Amino acid sequence: MTLPILLAVFAIPTISIPFVYFAGKKSPKLAAMFVALIALINIMLVLSTVPEILNSTKHQYLESYTWIPTIINTRFSLFLDGISASIALISLVLIFVAALFSVNYMAGKKNLPSYYALLCMLSVGLVGVFLTSNLLLFYFCWELMLVPAYFIVGEWGYRNSYKSAFKLFIFTHAGAVFVLLGIGAVYWLTNGQTDMIAAQTALLTASPEIVKWVLVAFTAGFAVKMAVFPVHLWLPDAHSEAPAPMSALLSGVIISAGAYAIIRISFGVVFPSVGVAFGTSFLEALAIVGVITAFFGSFLALVATDIKRLIAYSSIAHMGYIMFGLSLFPVALADNNPVLLVTASAIAVVGTVLHIVTHAVSKGLFFLTAGGVMHQTEERDINKMGGLASKMPFATVSGTIAALSIAGAPPLACFISEFLIFVGAIQIINITGGLSSFYIIPTALMLIATVFSLAYSLRFISKVFLGTSKDEAVPEEGHKDATEHVKEESHKIVDVPNYMKVSLAILVVLVVLIGIYPTFFINLIKTVTFGGLS
Amino acid sequence: MVQILDIILPIFTLVIAALLTIPVFRIIRKQGRHKTALTMSWFLVVFLIAGVTVANLALTYFSTANPAPLNLALDGSASTAVSSSFLVDALSIYMAIIIVAVSAVVMVYSVFFVDSNERPSDRYFAIMLILTAALLGAVLAGDLLTFFIFWEAATAAAAFIMMYRKNAFSLNATLKYLIMVIIASAFVLFGLSIVYGITGSLNYNALREALNASTLVASDKNLLIIAFVFIAAGYAIEAAIVPFHFWLPDAYTAAPAPSAAFLSALVDQGSYYILIRILLYIIIPTGPNQVLNWTLMLAFLASMTMVIGNVFALIQNDVKRLIAYICVADVGYNLVAITSVTSLGLAGNLYFFLIGGLTTALAFMVIGIINNYGIRTLSDFAGIGKKMPLVSIALVVAGLSFAGVPPLGGFIAKYLVFTAAIQAQLGWLAVIGVLTSILQTAYIFRLINVMYAKKPKDETPIKENKRILIPVFILVAAIFILGLFPNIVLQLLQPATQQLSALIPAI
Repeated sequence: MTLPILLAVFAIPTISIPFVYFAGKKSPKLAAMFVALIALINIMLVLSTVPEILNSTKHQYLESYTWIPTIINTRFSLFLDGISASIALISLVLIFVAALFSVNYMAGKKNLPSYYALLCMLSVGLVGVFLTSNLLLFYFCWELMLVPAYFIVGEWGYRNSYKSAFKLFIFTHAGAVFVLLGIGAVYWLTNGQTDMIAAQTALLTASPEIVKWVLVAFTAGFAVKMAVFPVHLWLPDAHSEAPAPMSALLSGVIISAGAYAIIRISFGVVFPSVGVAFGTSFLEALAIVGVITAFFGSFLALVATDIKRLIAYSSIAHMGYIMFGLSLFPVALADNNPVLLVTASAIAVVGTVLHIVTHAVSKGLFFLTAGGVMHQTEERDINKMGGLASKMPFATVSGTIAALSIAGAPPLACFISEFLIFVGAIQIINITGGLSSFYIIPTALMLIATVFSLAYSLRFISKVFLGTSKDEAVPEEGHKDATEHVKEESHKIVDVPNYMKVSLAILVVLVVLIGIYPTFFINLIKTVTFGGLS
Repeated sequence: MVQILDIILPIFTLVIAALLTIPVFRIIRKQGRHKTALTMSWFLVVFLIAGVTVANLALTYFSTANPAPLNLALDGSASTAVSSSFLVDALSIYMAIIIVAVSAVVMVYSVFFVDSNERPSDRYFAIMLILTAALLGAVLAGDLLTFFIFWEAATAAAAFIMMYRKNAFSLNATLKYLIMVIIASAFVLFGLSIVYGITGSLNYNALREALNASTLVASDKNLLIIAFVFIAAGYAIEAAIVPFHFWLPDAYTAAPAPSAAFLSALVDQGSYYILIRILLYIIIPTGPNQVLNWTLMLAFLASMTMVIGNVFALIQNDVKRLIAYICVADVGYNLVAITSVTSLGLAGNLYFFLIGGLTTALAFMVIGIINNYGIRTLSDFAGIGKKMPLVSIALVVAGLSFAGVPPLGGFIAKYLVFTAAIQAQLGWLAVIGVLTSILQTAYIFRLINVMYAKKPKDETPIKENKRILIPVFILVAAIFILGLFPNIVLQLLQPATQQLSALIPAI
């Protein structure tokens, strides 16, 4: 009888929602601490399952409870393997950090008890997505993320916030209902099976013609959440108009949930059953989408003037990277052999999942720093910022580290993951025919795209932190009135307050640490097997 | 062993209670204080007794393991050939339970909503009780004639509660409704007479056997099938399937909120019930006893209903009318479930009855509360989220349940329905259903957007009446609980699906 650790990870935030609300009525700081504490407890719980994942033969941690035994026969199955444990850990860290950051960032805003209660509800759905091995429960948690996201973005967001929140909801929901159709089809094809592990073996006997459409439906639905081109339209508005802690969660984890879902469901459940020919062309299509998205995001980030919009576009670009990494994934499965990720052909997979983790930390840090800068300078346009390095040294350090990590500079986090993706890509090129491989051009293009990401990162650093600040600029002739007006208006810009400092510091340490020592996560990820029950 | 008394008792109780309501109200009006409490306790007593009788029926029926459908004539003899009989099987018991449970909650709401000082209100409540009794009789009926009698009683009662306010709009809508009922009943009677003429019986089971009897001449069989098409068409008109749906938006908008809640939660489900009986139990579409494969035609009608219901809802400005059009779209989803002749389809159908009914009842209740402050159109709803927070939360829950968002009951209902459609090889129908669901989400979120994002027109604070929120939040809790733990209801309706698969072995 195993301890109900995963059930506790699920249940603790769920039952705490009303308590968080009432704690918030007393003092918002109390509610924030509550949410942070819950996240911390969950981190401990997930970490406690890590030894079993690493050392047991199946490399999984399973719990299963009765939920709906009649008619649809769905169990409340929870499970962790290397991939879901890594991503779950990093999302919990981000929730913890976001709660701490909200103490200062959201101070003074209205209706804060509801905000923290919604944040707690968000964490249920968010962690639940990574914890389940049942398709119906997965869909539950997937959509459960949307309602608090809608209200947090709408109620506490910026310009036209409800419109952006609506775009978020409707796009993601539209994608999700296609996932629902896919789940229905899996139910039909497997005669009533909704458990991911069991469905995968059951689907092997289904007709590849229909399974093709199931794969397309699933991947399309998840791709909308990932905000790749051309279904990215919701992301720039939603992420830039959301309050900063929510943006960090949205960009860091919620869109990565789409990538995780593609790995877990599209590739883990459905992909082994489509034919090799369709599978290969599908992957090539994914590679093309990934490359286009990366360029699209990078170009738009290069010309963006709004600080949060710039970071939102960079999220789109990185989702392009992840999509490209995903397209390298199961080429190893082409021979229908189950693959242990320790083999050489699977380095791309390790890199992709590691990139989900490192991107989450770096983008979270990026958004939180931007939020801190916005909060302190009360300014959104990066052309109006500048010279903040002297006024806000802490924010400058964290912002620079975040931007350089996003650019993929060693020894920061995203470097190692992008490096692994490219090494894996070259391995795949080797396997799929050397110089005549399809993947040569996409890989080359992605290498060029990294140059652009470095470009917009450096542009960000220079415009926001370096240079001279605008109110110290020499006034031109005839503009004396305007400058004096500015001088009277500008307030003293100080560095970010304490709670923000703590949360930024945590993320900075993590970014540097994962960059130097990624072995913890790589060991976790390497244990996963795809393509067959072990 | 179920006796005829067990079946008649719930119906009888409610009719007696209806007749007693009028003198009871006279007594209550003479009291000085606590009028609402007294009225509430009267109705709670009534529904407690009715609930006990229905529970007795259910427990007696299920006291044996794997009970078979039981057909009882009025004199107590069990026979499958008699006209004028009652049928007790898992499906009717499920419907009876949800009728009593949902009408109890709507009744509690009506007591708070309708001022019991008004003169016709005693007749209003009495007619509501008669409506419940008639619906109970209808779902427990064992043949088409008994069903017809009880159903006409129900529609007459429905017409009365629709026109309670007696203004021009209500009278107009009620007139449309009555004309629709008359035309539909004419169709049904025409079909019934042909059926009786050929087979000599109107009993469900007898008809099913008659349609498959080897003694039936081919021309007779075709005539029978046409007659059944007439009957099904008549009831389809009453169910508001497109293109016969024109009466529904006017009727539901004109009816006062408790009536609209009653109608959408219960009377609609009654019309789906008879469609299930006729289409699945008598005109068996697949399997060894196949009579007529109506699935494709009904699938077409279902898709039209979903599309038209949702598209028209999109362009509505009056919020109550918007909910009425969502009811039309719900008809479509129910039809999708009927069309998927699988056990999952029947389960989804029955589950959708309950959840769809609860959600539309909740929506009408909340809109009724808001309409009392003169807030009617979409632009009037601006800023309601801040002015009336509790009521808005209830409306958001109803809206999300309509849209099919977890963890609310509406999601499980739509999941069951769409999976059943895919399982029945009607994937295109599931795709249409899903696309219309997205449309539904869009306009529901437009409403939520207006409620929360826009500034209210004036800043006068509105004091929310807390008592009327009790039944509202009972429904909210029910929708949440049924979304998280659907097993509670699924266990109730599993015997029904098992009995259906005994009948149609292919599913």
